[in-house]
Amino acid sequence: MNTSAWHMLLEGAWTTVWISGVSIAIGVVAGLLIALIRLARIPIVDQLLVLYVSLARATPLVTLTLFIFLSAPTFGINLNRNVTGILALTLNTTAFNAEIWRSAFRNFSREQREAAMAVGMTPWITFRRIMLPQLVVTSLPGLVNEMSFLIKGSPAIAVIGIVDLTRVTNRISAVTYEPLPPILAACALYMLAIGCLVWLQRLAERRANRLAV
Amino acid sequence: MTNWQILWDARDQFWSGFLSTMEIFGLSISAAFLIGCVMLFMLEGTRPRLALPLRIFIDGMRMLPFLMLAYVLYYGLPTFGIRLNAWWAGVGALAVYHGCYFAEIFRGSRLTFPPGQIEAAKAHGFTKGKMFLRLILPQIVMQTRPLIGNQLIYALKDTAFLVIITVRELTAAANNLSGTYFIPTEAFIVVIGFYWAVSIVMEIIIKQCGRFSAKRGFDHV
Amino acid sequence: MSETTLPETAAVSIRQLSKSFDGVEVLRDVNLEVAKGEVVTILGSSGSGKSTLLRCINWLEQPDRGSIHIAGQRIGVDDAGRPMPVKTLARVRARTGMVFQSFNLWPHLNVLHNVTEAPIHVLGKSKREAEEHARALLEKVGMSHKADAYPNTLSGGQKQRVAIARALAMQPEVMLFDEPTSALDPELVGEVLAVIKDLSAEGYTMVIVTHEMAFARAVSDQVVFLEKGLIIERADPETFFTNASTERVRKFLERES
Repeated sequence: MNTSAWHMLLEGAWTTVWISGVSIAIGVVAGLLIALIRLARIPIVDQLLVLYVSLARATPLVTLTLFIFLSAPTFGINLNRNVTGILALTLNTTAFNAEIWRSAFRNFSREQREAAMAVGMTPWITFRRIMLPQLVVTSLPGLVNEMSFLIKGSPAIAVIGIVDLTRVTNRISAVTYEPLPPILAACALYMLAIGCLVWLQRLAERRANRLAV
Repeated sequence: MTNWQILWDARDQFWSGFLSTMEIFGLSISAAFLIGCVMLFMLEGTRPRLALPLRIFIDGMRMLPFLMLAYVLYYGLPTFGIRLNAWWAGVGALAVYHGCYFAEIFRGSRLTFPPGQIEAAKAHGFTKGKMFLRLILPQIVMQTRPLIGNQLIYALKDTAFLVIITVRELTAAANNLSGTYFIPTEAFIVVIGFYWAVSIVMEIIIKQCGRFSAKRGFDHV
Repeated sequence: MSETTLPETAAVSIRQLSKSFDGVEVLRDVNLEVAKGEVVTILGSSGSGKSTLLRCINWLEQPDRGSIHIAGQRIGVDDAGRPMPVKTLARVRARTGMVFQSFNLWPHLNVLHNVTEAPIHVLGKSKREAEEHARALLEKVGMSHKADAYPNTLSGGQKQRVAIARALAMQPEVMLFDEPTSALDPELVGEVLAVIKDLSAEGYTMVIVTHEMAFARAVSDQVVFLEKGLIIERADPETFFTNASTERVRKFLERES
């Protein structure tokens, strides 16, 4: 592989990283919001969210991406490819994140909440000062794990022509007629990114365990 | 004609796409299960020679997007003169990729396997192979049931990636239909319904297996 | 209204309190006055309702009937009989301090911040003022050397002493102790009881649920015995422990000693 091939590859890698990064950021926050709404158990809204989570978990990312890309224009909505990709990845990861947050909430110690109430904290202060800092720590390993799943699912956006780290290998081999080197190089970059996340997950687990004891 | 009527008339295409996906899924997941079991067996014993390379291979696969492995098999292997068509490359990639995940799931459970049982089996004169097949494997499979169920759903979803290497399966069917008749919304709703239904059926089956193993005192339902 | 004519000295005033869980009555028409500076111990076998009574005082459990006043202010229900808004309830709760059986320290905050958290975010004290006060309280409970430690690194007795400092930091009208030594290894019980004894000597108002008979006898001004949700005996400690009027209490004391 020559310099320009490497250059293309890194551009593809950057596309994967920023689209995944934006989706992760939105997905983590949106997952928290959905978990909070589900804890409120509002009728109909709750059932709709259950349906959303179940559908999002069963729908392949490729199918979801194609669906949004092809279907949005028929409703008069024009999304560019990148927005479509982010939307698909976000819709998918949010569902998983919502479940991670929700289980952290459900397992939160009732005793600690009582101690907060007993010193006169309102529910909002209790949530902000006592629960949320701990929920972040206990949810983090699960959230980071979901981040690596998102990266592993991100090649799905190649199906609508986004030149990500996967698709760029086709572009390169179209010029060099040697498909294997760019594919292996892309594999190495993916492993690097996901390896970092796995390492982060281990750190996060250690911190979470310290809190649990 | 309404859009739904058009889809109804094209039901054969959906059906064949669905059958194709199920065929790919069924074949590759069976192979993946076998691969997982074989890998677990190769990790058996006090100091298996293959342990290190195998662990590196398994961990490597788990750090890779599935589609990249499919790319290696479909676009990369011809470099070595091995030419697989898209279908076989897809099935092969699914089998190897999810085989590694199965192996990792089994390995995690194998670590907590009670050593007393193995000593008892040795005392009764079991050979290594017999012990693995009759004693260790059945228990590990029953214990890891929920994780296997999860992995099955991931594998089902990964079959859709194969549309990118031109395999004709369920998502490809929706893509073609929406291209032909310009009814993407309806076509994809039907296809997502298919995936959803299969996931739910698998979840129910896994739950039923849960009752089966609960009866044998493996865990609480 | 009878509520407005309470004696000004009562730190806690409980009237006609009843509470049931799933149709089982755990508290039946309980009346109890705790004067300012008084130490009241609640005794009784397990399941007698003593913890529930204590948890009603700061509204962690909501009674079905009856009223509770903290230093003249009714808790949980406003004058019109409606449930209090959460903010008002929190303010009234802040006038009580509670020490739990299982400590319930917040593991993400170090010892000092466990103590300053509520003064800063509930009372609105400045960080400096809260920390100064907290250090003084940690000194009082003998934990100032662990101010920077995290709860999970402490022994049970140390955790409970921090929990006491945390409750004291709100300068409550009354301290509520819910079996403060039941979760401790026997060799750690003494250090916690010593701290509580010091507090009683300093004139703190306290309501204590405990199984430590010798401690109850030494520290109390009034001992109350609860049986199936009813107060069946109340007396000064000397009378209670040497000359109880009911057969049930004498049997209980025999078994406990």
